Amino acid sequence: QSAGGEATNENKFLNTDSSTGSVETTIKPLPFKDPNFIHSGIGGAAAGKKNRTWKNLKQILASERALPWQLNDPSYFNIDAPPSFKPAKKYSDISGLPANYTDPQSKLRFSTIEEFAYIRMLPSDVVTGYLALRKATSIVS
Amino acid sequence: QGCVDHPIVLTEAVCNPLYSRQMMSELLFECYQVPKVSYGVDSLYSFYHNRRQTWPCSGLVISSGYQCTHILPVLEGRLDAKNCKRINLGGCQAAVYLQRLLQLKYPGHFAAITLSRMEEILHEHSYIAEDYIEELQKWRSPEYYENNMHKMQLPFSNKLLGSTLTSEEKQERRQQQLRRLQELNARRREEKLQLDQERLDRLLYVQELLEDGQMDQFHKALVELNMDSAEELQSYINKLSLSVEQTKQKILQAEVNIEVDVVDSKPETPDLDPLGSEQSLEDVESINEFEPLFAEEQPEVEKPVAAVQPVFNLAEYHQLFLGTERIRAPEIVFQPSLIGEDQAGIAETMQYVLERYPKEQQAVLVQNVFLTGGNTMYPGLKARVQKELLEMRPFQSSFQVHLASSPVLDAWYGARDWAVEYMTREEGWITRKDYEEKGGEYLKEHCASNVYVPIRLPKQAPRTTEALAPSRVLTSSAGNPCEQA
Repeated sequence: QSAGGEATNENKFLNTDSSTGSVETTIKPLPFKDPNFIHSGIGGAAAGKKNRTWKNLKQILASERALPWQLNDPSYFNIDAPPSFKPAKKYSDISGLPANYTDPQSKLRFSTIEEFAYIRMLPSDVVTGYLALRKATSIVS
Repeated sequence: QGCVDHPIVLTEAVCNPLYSRQMMSELLFECYQVPKVSYGVDSLYSFYHNRRQTWPCSGLVISSGYQCTHILPVLEGRLDAKNCKRINLGGCQAAVYLQRLLQLKYPGHFAAITLSRMEEILHEHSYIAEDYIEELQKWRSPEYYENNMHKMQLPFSNKLLGSTLTSEEKQERRQQQLRRLQELNARRREEKLQLDQERLDRLLYVQELLEDGQMDQFHKALVELNMDSAEELQSYINKLSLSVEQTKQKILQAEVNIEVDVVDSKPETPDLDPLGSEQSLEDVESINEFEPLFAEEQPEVEKPVAAVQPVFNLAEYHQLFLGTERIRAPEIVFQPSLIGEDQAGIAETMQYVLERYPKEQQAVLVQNVFLTGGNTMYPGLKARVQKELLEMRPFQSSFQVHLASSPVLDAWYGARDWAVEYMTREEGWITRKDYEEKGGEYLKEHCASNVYVPIRLPKQAPRTTEALAPSRVLTSSAGNPCEQA
């Protein structure tokens, strides 16, 4: 089971699967669809004929924020979990063991001497990969 | 016939944005002409399906799906939406994390480490450690590693690249090369002979000019030929006639040496030309040069080779060793700092949610902690949650943790139960009339739904705009539940 609602509401085309027998191709006649239906998302004045102005999640949330919410009302962005108060534990980038040491040259964390030797032999793209995994890459290098 | 003529039960996100619900209602009512619709939250349907005592009951629902994890307190059967929290980590992020870990560890198999294989590893070989640090210490020892490390075999083919020919074929190829080289050399010599001959003739003609006494023409010709004096001309002539003689000799020799029929073929492939050596190179030498080139150019032959000795065990090269990755990947939902997310993990968020309630309600909620969702199917999750609760609850207080009976499908079963029960009742269904009067984002609350906030969205199409308060009029009829994956 997934938090299916999000997927549901972001991708409208998926929802055609909810009615049995409806096919994705536009060539076959769709038995459940009202043939005269045009979605209100199509044909916005600025969009023109071809593009459907579907919004992605960021746009949806941005426009939701602009609505007159009360202070205690639950909304999609109010529900985000707060950032952690406890300091993060450090684990080695290579093996996942608790890491007490950091390599000053590459900023990777390691826990044993063998790991350190291994780190020093790594090519730079692997090093950047490990840092990116931890979101520890700095823009100013 | 242009419509769907049965009601639909649909799941949506917790605190679904009004815009999304509006889009969805519009699609259902206007395009598919559905008679009525009910929206609900999937984890609450699952909770409803797994209810033990008489309904309504309270509990803390922890639902972890593919995209995100929710912590939802349920009080008296209704979602307390103010205090829900959502962590934006789920099975998808765990799979991506595992994939990157393995790709960095085995850079040679970058393409072979796909997301679907990662999901398979997560489903079958990963577990959640009850005490993460202690478990990691266990992994330090080599015997534990040997015993518990899982080797994943990647698919590979045993075909070796390069020449896989038998010796006779090699010999035949050599002969072919020889033949071709000979042809090439012969043709080259002839061309050179021709050119040299022409040049020699020209030079001789210029010399004749000198002898005949036509000085002006002679000098002009000299300039054209880029020479300075008659002596230079003479020396050139000498050299040229010498080389012409040599070339003629070689041609005669080559014709004698050719044993095989030189087929009058088309011009030789141009890729041999750049390597074409000067005339002084022996044929044998050039053949040796061409061998390695030929080997590369030869397309792979499918014949099995028994003669090649394996340098390393090919099967072992294509194996991935999973050690601590088995517990690291599912751990991100408890410690998002592994990925760099600064949200709190499940344990801390649970504590945060519980602390927003007075103590009595905390005790009530904690008596019924309910785990559901596909991402909760790791072995060891229940024990871990129990340990976390033990750490955060006051000394000697009790708590209970339950897992859904079938975490993946329970939402559907719950929706089915709800629909069957509320079939003839009116509660919880949004009819087409309601949609038309009150707009697409209207929601009727029921035991498994979101909380409705009465805000009207500005519409693109003209509609009647009425401000309204959430009414708890409940309507229902025969339903056919639909699960949205």
